Amino acid sequence: MHIFQRTIPRILAVLFGIVTLVLLGIASAESGQLTGWASFLAAVALILGIINLFSVHLRRGFRGNFYSLVLVIALAATLVLGFTGLYGGKDTVFTYVQAPLEAALGALLAFFLFFAALRLLHRKHNRWTVLFVATVILILLGITPMPAFLSEIFASVNYFISLVFVSAGMRGILIGVALGTITVTLRLLLGSEQPYNK
Amino acid sequence: MNLVALLIAVVVGGALFLLTRRIQAGQEVGLRPLRGIQALTSQVGRAVESGRRVHFSMGRAALNSSIAPTSLAALAALDHLAQDGCASDVPPVVTVGEGTLLPAAQDQLRGAYTQAGRAGDFSNTMVEFVASDTSPMSYAAGVSYTVQHSNAGSNLLMGHFGPEIGIILEAAGRQDMEQIVGSDDPVALAVGAAMSDELLIGEELFAAGAYMKGSPSQIASLQVQDLLRLIVVAAILVFAVINLL
Repeated sequence: MHIFQRTIPRILAVLFGIVTLVLLGIASAESGQLTGWASFLAAVALILGIINLFSVHLRRGFRGNFYSLVLVIALAATLVLGFTGLYGGKDTVFTYVQAPLEAALGALLAFFLFFAALRLLHRKHNRWTVLFVATVILILLGITPMPAFLSEIFASVNYFISLVFVSAGMRGILIGVALGTITVTLRLLLGSEQPYNK
Repeated sequence: MNLVALLIAVVVGGALFLLTRRIQAGQEVGLRPLRGIQALTSQVGRAVESGRRVHFSMGRAALNSSIAPTSLAALAALDHLAQDGCASDVPPVVTVGEGTLLPAAQDQLRGAYTQAGRAGDFSNTMVEFVASDTSPMSYAAGVSYTVQHSNAGSNLLMGHFGPEIGIILEAAGRQDMEQIVGSDDPVALAVGAAMSDELLIGEELFAAGAYMKGSPSQIASLQVQDLLRLIVVAAILVFAVINLL
């Protein structure tokens, strides 16, 4: 049993990983074939996700949760519209329901962030908090309409902060992420990282 | 160019393999303390001791995408949390924002239940798929609902997130939850800096598994990362000097 549950998945994962990597180096078209199979599996996983969403909320709905019932009904209605094409099909749902709701949440996010910055001053009293809030204010002033002479000053400060501090910080984070990505991938290829083998 | 990348992969892979063998042979390796990881372990400990569950959201990086390692790092952290939680009868509440993460997270939780000797208690609905990766705001709204109704004591967001993370952090903040954000995305980290208690910045997220579980290959990968970082820093300095001349 151990051989089917642990050894064979490990051999397959390492084999396909190495073959894909080598093909990427010498024949990228064939490598694309293998990643195409992975995309197909990802599509199957999405169907599993929808079944999971449906079963979790159906159970909650039976327990009397109103929002879960709304979700189950909306999911079923969208599926019906998608398959039948009635009333413009699924595009109607995306245009008149999902897009406005997502836009509304996106707009709320700006207020959440503004109040979070204010709360941060109450929550954490240290120089980093002051620096964070001061930088936010400077950046906001840099993009706010003002008299010309003030606008030029704040715009140049904004440009300097973005070019030097923000770029340096982001590059530092991204280099760290890239190094982490390399080592995680190599551990998978060596078979020492086995997230598929619990 | 692809052949150069292949050559680099072989060299770095060889270094990782050798360092792993040295640690397996008994070489001691000291890990420098990371504030984010210390906060993570103590926060989870406090939640478990008080009998409250931990909410763990894995973001929305697909396992077949170029940012999959971020999700794999989150899975490594979930592995540890799930083992601790299942052993104490307070399993984590797990939410995912991408289809491929669902079976992976279910597998981690199932493994933790099996290790705790309670395989029969596991159900696939213990991990919740919230929305696909193309709808970040729907994902944030769904996770916020779960956070508010799960009676969790701690909120851990580890994986790939965007600015929508602010909505989840706001919802958890209203429940007075302790929060930690670990992400590869600078925007999510900036939002997390304002709204969460502690951050795992970039590579710290990838180091979480090594600090929490400490398998030889994970610790060896930290050594390789340090080595690569020195090479990158040296290369940046050399090219900066050349450009100045």
